[in-house]
Amino acid sequence: MLFLRRGLPGLLSGAISGTLLAGALGELWLSLAAGAILGAAYSLALPRLPARPGVAADRAMTAAAFGLPMWGAINVIILPLFAGHSPQWTAEGMRALFAALVGWLLFGFALGLLTAGAVSLVEQLIGPAPAAPKTAPASPKTHIVILGGGFAGVTTAMNLEKEFRRDPSVAFTIVSETNALLFTPLLAEVAGSSLEPTHISTPLRGSFRRTAVVRAQVTGIDLAKQHVQLSGRDETLPYDHLVFALGAVSSQPPGGKMSEHPLDFKTLADAIRIRNHVIDTFDRADAEHDPTKRQALLTFVIAGGGFSGAELAGALNDFARGMLADYPDLPADELRIVLVHSRDRILPELSESLASYALERMRARGVTFELNARVASARPGAVTLKRDDTEFEIATGTLIWTAGAVPNPLLKELPVELDKRGAVLVDGTLRVKGHSGLWALGDCAVVPDAKTGKPCPPTAQFAIRQARTLAHNLRASITGRALKHFHFDALGTLCVVGHHTACAEINGFKFSGFFAWLLWRGIYLSKLPGLDRKVRVLSDWLIELFFPRDIVQTIESRSPPQKTAA
Amino acid sequence: MSTAKAFVGLGVIVGTLGASALVLSGFFPLVGIMLGGFFGAAFALLTKARVKTPGAGLLWALAFMLLLWLAGAAGILPKFTSEKSMGMLDAARAHFPELIGYLLLFGAPLGLVLGAFATRQSSTQMKPFSLTRALVGGGLAGIVGGWAFGQWMEKAHFFPLIAGLVGSSSRGLGMTLHFIFAVIIGATFGLLFQRDVRGYGSSAGWGMAYGIFWWFLGPLTLMPLLQARRPDWSLSRGQELFGSLMGHIVYGLIVGVLYAALDKLWVGFFIESDPINRQPEGPGSRTLRSLGRGAIAGLIGGLVFWPQIVAVDGLHWIARLAGGTSSTLGLFVHLAISVVIGAGYGVLFERESPDWGAAIGWGMLYGITRWFVGTLTLFPIWLGASFTWTTAAAAAALPSLLGHLLYGAVTASVYLLLERRHRDWMRLDPRFAAYEARRQRPIGTPAPALWFFALSLGVLLPILLS
Repeated sequence: MLFLRRGLPGLLSGAISGTLLAGALGELWLSLAAGAILGAAYSLALPRLPARPGVAADRAMTAAAFGLPMWGAINVIILPLFAGHSPQWTAEGMRALFAALVGWLLFGFALGLLTAGAVSLVEQLIGPAPAAPKTAPASPKTHIVILGGGFAGVTTAMNLEKEFRRDPSVAFTIVSETNALLFTPLLAEVAGSSLEPTHISTPLRGSFRRTAVVRAQVTGIDLAKQHVQLSGRDETLPYDHLVFALGAVSSQPPGGKMSEHPLDFKTLADAIRIRNHVIDTFDRADAEHDPTKRQALLTFVIAGGGFSGAELAGALNDFARGMLADYPDLPADELRIVLVHSRDRILPELSESLASYALERMRARGVTFELNARVASARPGAVTLKRDDTEFEIATGTLIWTAGAVPNPLLKELPVELDKRGAVLVDGTLRVKGHSGLWALGDCAVVPDAKTGKPCPPTAQFAIRQARTLAHNLRASITGRALKHFHFDALGTLCVVGHHTACAEINGFKFSGFFAWLLWRGIYLSKLPGLDRKVRVLSDWLIELFFPRDIVQTIESRSPPQKTAA
Repeated sequence: MSTAKAFVGLGVIVGTLGASALVLSGFFPLVGIMLGGFFGAAFALLTKARVKTPGAGLLWALAFMLLLWLAGAAGILPKFTSEKSMGMLDAARAHFPELIGYLLLFGAPLGLVLGAFATRQSSTQMKPFSLTRALVGGGLAGIVGGWAFGQWMEKAHFFPLIAGLVGSSSRGLGMTLHFIFAVIIGATFGLLFQRDVRGYGSSAGWGMAYGIFWWFLGPLTLMPLLQARRPDWSLSRGQELFGSLMGHIVYGLIVGVLYAALDKLWVGFFIESDPINRQPEGPGSRTLRSLGRGAIAGLIGGLVFWPQIVAVDGLHWIARLAGGTSSTLGLFVHLAISVVIGAGYGVLFERESPDWGAAIGWGMLYGITRWFVGTLTLFPIWLGASFTWTTAAAAAALPSLLGHLLYGAVTASVYLLLERRHRDWMRLDPRFAAYEARRQRPIGTPAPALWFFALSLGVLLPILLS
């Protein structure tokens, strides 16, 4: 029917218009044949436009303009090549082909005009093409709910939108305690006042096209009724498929006495708090004349020598030492950044050589290390460390806890299989074992790698790839197709430990120093979601080249620091 | 009488008057007067849904007049007259004065009058028109365009000739007059085409077509008339003024781009930046994405263009732009330029192509613009020579013209592919779909007429006049 409606009119119009190509192609039969073929192809390729006034003029002029490249392709290049000559694109050659150019332009105009008229005539004779049946927008049949607005949850939602596109039978909802995706690799830069806090967070509402965003805390999940209970809302959220992307929370420091004192380093608010606390502490130290108390104030203890702790130590060290220029009364040798780690080397995720390099560089820049030690307890003004069987105290006004994370404790309330850490066990397709319609990924799940069988590490690069597989599997599950098992070979790791200093292992290659630092910044800038976020972060880094880091305190302490008597 | 009938009737009247002018000029036989009325009616019937403004009318009419000239005076007619022994190019050259006559005496009045009539009938349904923006934006753009054109006029000692219009031979006076004309023509660009201006690129295309029109109207027609002389529309006069044609094209391109830039700057600064008018994707993100997509598209276009450059042994010449002569260096320079030009396409032509046909049309127009501005103007300057807007230079550069058209078409097609991918993703959000639909160039603008007129003359004139 398409051929009858469009192909045939185009073919006939092209044949008639083809008479104008006799000068261009030499033989009348050839020009008629070429015209017919081009006419049919042109007509079939045209987008179907409603028969409105003016369409004929548009088509005629557009087709006339297309006569120019047709002349160039056929008469100037192809025909001479077929005849064993070089293309005729010199001035003399084009002058000799002037008649053919006129022929093509006129052919195009005639083709466009006649085709538009012929198609319109056919529609009048046999009636217009039946319009596509308008289906009433169906209420969604399948509701996918994603719990968690981190890398895993957000990437799952984005990939679900790509998988299902406009399919109205599936709806997505993401539930998040925050309204933005935090790009955690750059969190230390916020604490160290290199970056503005909002620049490393991408608003959830601007990230999706048709995923509903619910800002709430999950207070309960009824697996039998397939409902999710949310804080601050009476109604529950029904689901057909539930995705656990709840991530991990900071593990609790040992001993009840410490739970009130440490600063966390997990969220944006934590990073902002740390930055403001450092500034506030400097002001207090500046008002303190007792050297012992002053040194305690200027001692910052960070528990945990993994990526978070090491990067935070490097960033705080740079920030704090840079601030000394604004506090001329504070002795530089009283400032201490102490990194406490339970093993004999920091950064266990990196190779030994890179970890040693990082430690030496940080030590050279002024960071102090307490290795093979754990934080035993803390009280206002001091932290007690334990090494082997010996305990010793460090006088400090600041303890920041980065020593480990555990899966979201909400999972422990559910009748699902968990490992000893509290992460939910899933099969290779990311389905929760023993439960249909339940899926999990990221830091809150134990995802086995399809090739090695080993659990995937809880990192963002794995969470993002798991999300892609999960979205595919959700669609496959709904449409009755085969699911994929997850596999991913880690690309590498990157860690920045100070100004122009980083360590990187990428596909087995090791890098350190300035080049690794450039890699770190370049790779994470490219991975930061949102083009405007990239521009903002890049501008922050460029500004940092010319101006010192900002020491404006944005969260006021409860009382201004008091000058003590000397 | 209904509006449609009045429109067609007006077409008959103006067509008859235009044909009468052509008869008086000796370009038409007496019977042409009736044909003129018939043609005016046919034009009105065919384009009544498209000629909504004087600017749209002007472009459509110029395109149809060019077609009429190709079909008639330069094409079919010589076959039936004593000229049939001449080659078609010779016939076209011999009928070069008719081309000018068709455009200025028939087409321009027909299009402008019908467009003005249509505007009065439908003014309430159209985009709002700002006289201030048209005059100020066009005038300012005209100054800059006039400065660029003036560089050639200075070299060709044209200013004293311009001063001759007021009976002087002063260079300074000639320059002053030149800038006055540039401002006026720029302002008329704004008056005629404000409703058609969307992107920088399409506006540049409009400017190019308007520049070509003013070449026919200005130095070939009005200048001699103002000097109380009969206009010389001969081919030889056209050949002498080829440099002026190039200047008018460059002037038009600059006016088009700058006018659109001033328009968009105004919108961007005062409207889009207002948080109340915030859209899901801000202008910053959109522009960066367009640059990136255009760069990729330009690279692919450059790769497709590469064999043609090799075939005309052009890589060594391109290498000279970087101070070398090797073809490898020439390839790198060519690809680098292609990426930059492609990125420019992305920014200049975002949202201009509702379909593949439009993309190829704009792309070819961009390609031919690159030939005029790049190959004929900027590259000689870059190589330390001054630009020579002569027929000989154009003839020497003709081999690369097709390659530029191909580059433009490929770049535009790839760009559309990339733009659509992103657009389809954004359109999942119904708010964005509505916004995007408003921003996309709609069907029904004079764009097809522009493509035909500007592309055809852009290729025809260098061949005819060389």
